[in-house]
Amino acid sequence: MNSLVSRNPNELVDRYLQAVRFWLPKSTRQEDVLAELGEDLRSQIEEKETELGCSLNPDEVSTVLKRCGSPMMVAGRLGPTRHLIGPALFPIYAFVLKMVLLWILVPVFIFIVGPVNVANSGGNWALAVARTFGDLWSGLFIAAGIVTLVFAIIERTNTHLGAECKWDPLKLPPVRKEQHKPSSLKAACELGFNIFGLVWLLLAPTYPFLILGPAAALLKAGPIVHMFYLPFVLVSLVALVRSGISLARPQWEWFPALSQLLQSVLMLIVLHSMIQVIEKMPSASLFVLLQDGVRDAPKYFKLVAIVNVSLLISVASTWLGVCIATVIQTWAFLRYLKNRASAPQRAAPLGVQ
Amino acid sequence: MPDGVQLELELFENLRLELRRGCLIVAVLAQLRVEQYGYTLRKALADDGLAIDEGTLYPLLRRLETQGLLVSQWREEDKRNKRFYHLSPVGEKILEQLLEEWKSINASLDRILQEAGRI
Repeated sequence: MNSLVSRNPNELVDRYLQAVRFWLPKSTRQEDVLAELGEDLRSQIEEKETELGCSLNPDEVSTVLKRCGSPMMVAGRLGPTRHLIGPALFPIYAFVLKMVLLWILVPVFIFIVGPVNVANSGGNWALAVARTFGDLWSGLFIAAGIVTLVFAIIERTNTHLGAECKWDPLKLPPVRKEQHKPSSLKAACELGFNIFGLVWLLLAPTYPFLILGPAAALLKAGPIVHMFYLPFVLVSLVALVRSGISLARPQWEWFPALSQLLQSVLMLIVLHSMIQVIEKMPSASLFVLLQDGVRDAPKYFKLVAIVNVSLLISVASTWLGVCIATVIQTWAFLRYLKNRASAPQRAAPLGVQ
Repeated sequence: MPDGVQLELELFENLRLELRRGCLIVAVLAQLRVEQYGYTLRKALADDGLAIDEGTLYPLLRRLETQGLLVSQWREEDKRNKRFYHLSPVGEKILEQLLEEWKSINASLDRILQEAGRI
């Protein structure tokens, strides 16, 4: 038995324990854990040596250590169980993360940051889209990081444990009812309003006071109104037909969601075309002009400008609103398709015969 | 299908570990009615058919000690420091209860399997 072989087993074990120590969290029990592991390994080696009747060579010791596992894995098993966000908090963390990323950050980028980038890009859409995606990407990482950090702090400080005892079964939300077919009353009201809206729109050129009120004595429709009158009549007509079909064919469950989405897309196309035309025209005379032959005309220029700017803001707001509505309606339609696809497999809710 | 077989094996392994986890606690407590140190305990369990690796046994021993079911002390034996464990009075009481529970579960399982015609 040469001295190198007889010294090596302990040396290899010490090297192994040193590697395990590196991965073990520093605590009062660290040395205790290592001493116990070392003792176990030495006992294994000793038993093998007794069995073989000679000291183990480094390869044989190495086999014992390999069987025990890599230092990092062993430290993971021997150390205290640790997690950034534990199972009790994880469902809330996942919910908040989804809310922040999908329902706050993405819409903010689509409807605010995106349009601002487009406005600042000088008409270079590709650059604006690339910049928005770049900003969105880093925004997602930062938001996810902040949410994770906050939850990790809550986990570490155990501040969520109090909430465990505070919940009350009586305060749970009521069971959600299955989505019913759209009500006939709703469809009838919608049809009524759409008839009223179309009639109002058709009468407006003949009776401008229907739109301008008393100001009709001073103002008249501008070029944009003339240009987009028929497209808006078309959109109203589509809305009227849509609500009529919804009322007449309530069994077409797919129709309301799809037709509403198509109507919003049509509206978006009209508004987008309008905005493109507006960009090329002087803003002072877009929607309304001063009537011919008005006395003291210069006195009313400011009024015309204010009305035009107000209508311009209204168009921009409507565009934004229709964008949001289109996203929501797309989501609703996709959910409808998903629910429809899974409907035959769905179990009856509890308590429902 | 190799993937399907692999998944089945993994599933079985996970369920087997879950099944063993509770039994291991009872086995360790029962073995420690007689004082032993880690390695001899591991060996005794393996000899009786319940092999357990270091990474599982030592955290379990520490947990049981923290819970007051075991007591331990470092002592020199054969010129080496070893940590000896044995059952505490609370541990003895709990072990008796656990064994009762074990017998009851075993009997229930036997009945269920007989009723199902599996035995």
